[in-house]
Amino acid sequence: MAQTPVLEHPAKRTRRRMTRMERHNLLVGLAFISPWIIGFVVFTLYPMLASLKYSFTDFTGILASKQHFFANYQMMFSDDRFWKAVVNTLYMVLISVPLNLIFSFLCAILLNFKVRGQSFYRVIFFLPSIVPAIASTMLWIWILRPDTGLLAALLNFIGIDGPNWFLDPLWAKPALIMLGIWGIGGTIIIYLSGLQDVSQTLLESAELDGANWWQRLRNITIPMVSPITLFNLITGVIVMFQYFSQAYVFAKFASIGKADIIVGRPMDSTLFYSVFLYDKFTNFRYGYASAMAWVMFLVILLCTVALLKVSNRFTYYAG
Amino acid sequence: MKKFTLVFSVMMIAAFVLAACGGSAAQPAAEKPEKLSVWITWGDNPAQIQELFNKFGDANGVKVEVTAPIEEDKILTALNSSNPPDVLVLSGGDLVKSYAGQSFVEPLNDLITSANIDIGDFYEAPLKQCQSGDEYLCLPWGNDIYALFWNKEMFKEAGLDPEKPPKTLDELAEMSKLLTKVDADGKVTQAGFIPDFSWGHNDLYVQRFGGFWYSPDGTELTVNSDAMVNAYEWQQQFYCDGITPEQMLDFAASFGDYGSSEQAFYAGKTAFQVDGEWQVGPNFIPQFAPGLNYGIAAFPVDPNNADKEGSGVVQGTVALIPAKAVNKDWSSKLLAWMMSPEIVAEEMSYNANLPTSKKAAQDPRFKEIEGFDTFIEIMGNPASTHVITSPISLEINDALGVAEEKILRECADPKPLLDEIQAEYEQLLKESLKQ
Repeated sequence: MAQTPVLEHPAKRTRRRMTRMERHNLLVGLAFISPWIIGFVVFTLYPMLASLKYSFTDFTGILASKQHFFANYQMMFSDDRFWKAVVNTLYMVLISVPLNLIFSFLCAILLNFKVRGQSFYRVIFFLPSIVPAIASTMLWIWILRPDTGLLAALLNFIGIDGPNWFLDPLWAKPALIMLGIWGIGGTIIIYLSGLQDVSQTLLESAELDGANWWQRLRNITIPMVSPITLFNLITGVIVMFQYFSQAYVFAKFASIGKADIIVGRPMDSTLFYSVFLYDKFTNFRYGYASAMAWVMFLVILLCTVALLKVSNRFTYYAG
Repeated sequence: MKKFTLVFSVMMIAAFVLAACGGSAAQPAAEKPEKLSVWITWGDNPAQIQELFNKFGDANGVKVEVTAPIEEDKILTALNSSNPPDVLVLSGGDLVKSYAGQSFVEPLNDLITSANIDIGDFYEAPLKQCQSGDEYLCLPWGNDIYALFWNKEMFKEAGLDPEKPPKTLDELAEMSKLLTKVDADGKVTQAGFIPDFSWGHNDLYVQRFGGFWYSPDGTELTVNSDAMVNAYEWQQQFYCDGITPEQMLDFAASFGDYGSSEQAFYAGKTAFQVDGEWQVGPNFIPQFAPGLNYGIAAFPVDPNNADKEGSGVVQGTVALIPAKAVNKDWSSKLLAWMMSPEIVAEEMSYNANLPTSKKAAQDPRFKEIEGFDTFIEIMGNPASTHVITSPISLEINDALGVAEEKILRECADPKPLLDEIQAEYEQLLKESLKQ
């Protein structure tokens, strides 16, 4: 009697030993990426785990820290300046990021037109993004000076008495947002590359069917570059949550004598999360600062996951 | 796959072990180092100071490398490392107790004895900022003290006697009103006195009202004391009485950088400034505003605390030896050399800083600096005090800075703000002193 063949369950795999060649390939591969692994472990993973440990202690810079358990986290959540830093950071995330995206996209549309000097214009728009952050901040401080600055002169010319960008807490963040928009060159380039992938056939068909410029933009171009938008949105949010250099330099000009840097000035309006975290480090509150760093990490992680989850509603992946 | 898992697990365990451990042992000191490093947080004239330290190097056959100015961010990292500078010179004593609280600082009592440093030769007020109980955490190397500068030409224009500065705080306020000019559009074109120009001087003002934000021994917080409230209320009038903070801040936005010819006092935008003795030295007024017609006097007093007349609040450069310094014997030798009256006289007379040594103060070079004798008199006044500090000075200063902005820029009532700081930091100070 013929035996009924026993069908192997698809999930069941017979464990087999790696062949010599496979073992060799694995070791060679690990050897090639070992510099990265070592660098990752030493310069990323170890500091992360160390800071997690310090966030539960009263570590102030050297050894012999005492267990603080969740005291740092409790102090943080009951600290008014912490919440001020959170609000200021959310202000930048919710206002600066969308503005940067809108301006980048519009600039990319303009730079995509086939006109004479297109390459030249693309370079001009990209150049500000390669200026170092501190240098660009100093440049904008010169532009924004209420007495002799370029912007004040332009506003005066049209009869507007410009605000005091450095010393008025209402205008300090808008000044920083303007500075940020000036440096959107990198995002423009990414959008430009995405615009090259928009199907010309589709656009021509729509035009033949009577769709106007705005309809073609809204129903074809924007959906087709939506993966780029998602990428720029996520990276923009991550960067803005860690906003530091420009705010730190800007604060120097928020003091009367311009003699020293006092974080958060004027009136804590430029006290961003990273700036406050840095201030805690310089005050020897390493445990508190480490706790802040981990909270920021978790918030950014949650925001990224949330954005990815809702992205299906507005992201169109061709093919 | 199993191999990969094993290798990865080993790396994770290594990361955990590294995270749990930490620190490294200091390298054993060599007999005679190749080089000694000195870090200084100020540096108006780095080439000159390197030349000074080269004298020690030439006399002892060792190279001394001076880094001036050094960013304060780097100091903390260096103090915690296995190779900090051999001598660290700070522009003020306010960080010393914070550093000492973290065991970053080598006590100097043994050095003072072994090197026969004459402690009695130091002026009392600056020396106190280095003391914690019986321990000397640092030694003062050059003092700073603040005085009132006034523009004599502006005085003449306003009909005031240019040789008669204000003697009381009320007189200063009255003169400031006369010297402040507002145009038809409501824009300030000239300011009299701005209390937080070029930076806050609350330590001086609160001293005039007979107090400080610590008890004299630095063990108790007195942020909401009457002296503090009175000092802030007095300052507030220059922003909120007859003028608005917006008007003053709009005007202040046009001020140039400190240490430039556009600095507001040099440029004739403010009639008064509170600033230090270095202003009369080669690197400031003589360089940036050589034609400025100005006077200097001790800051005015509150008539209720007239004993403070002619005095000031000393802050000063201090020098310390990091606890993890590799060449401590040589650090001690270098520090003792720095404190000798001859070296103090040479360095301080060149940069117009006040000498910490009474013997050095007799050096004729100080008499050649115009206006310097006023500062020496203020420093020598028995009522002169030092800035009291604590292990949490940085945080208290931050909190006071935030409160000061609200008081001056929003005309907020000082008392509730100071009460809040008192409540928040009182216990923290006690805990920090226990460590």
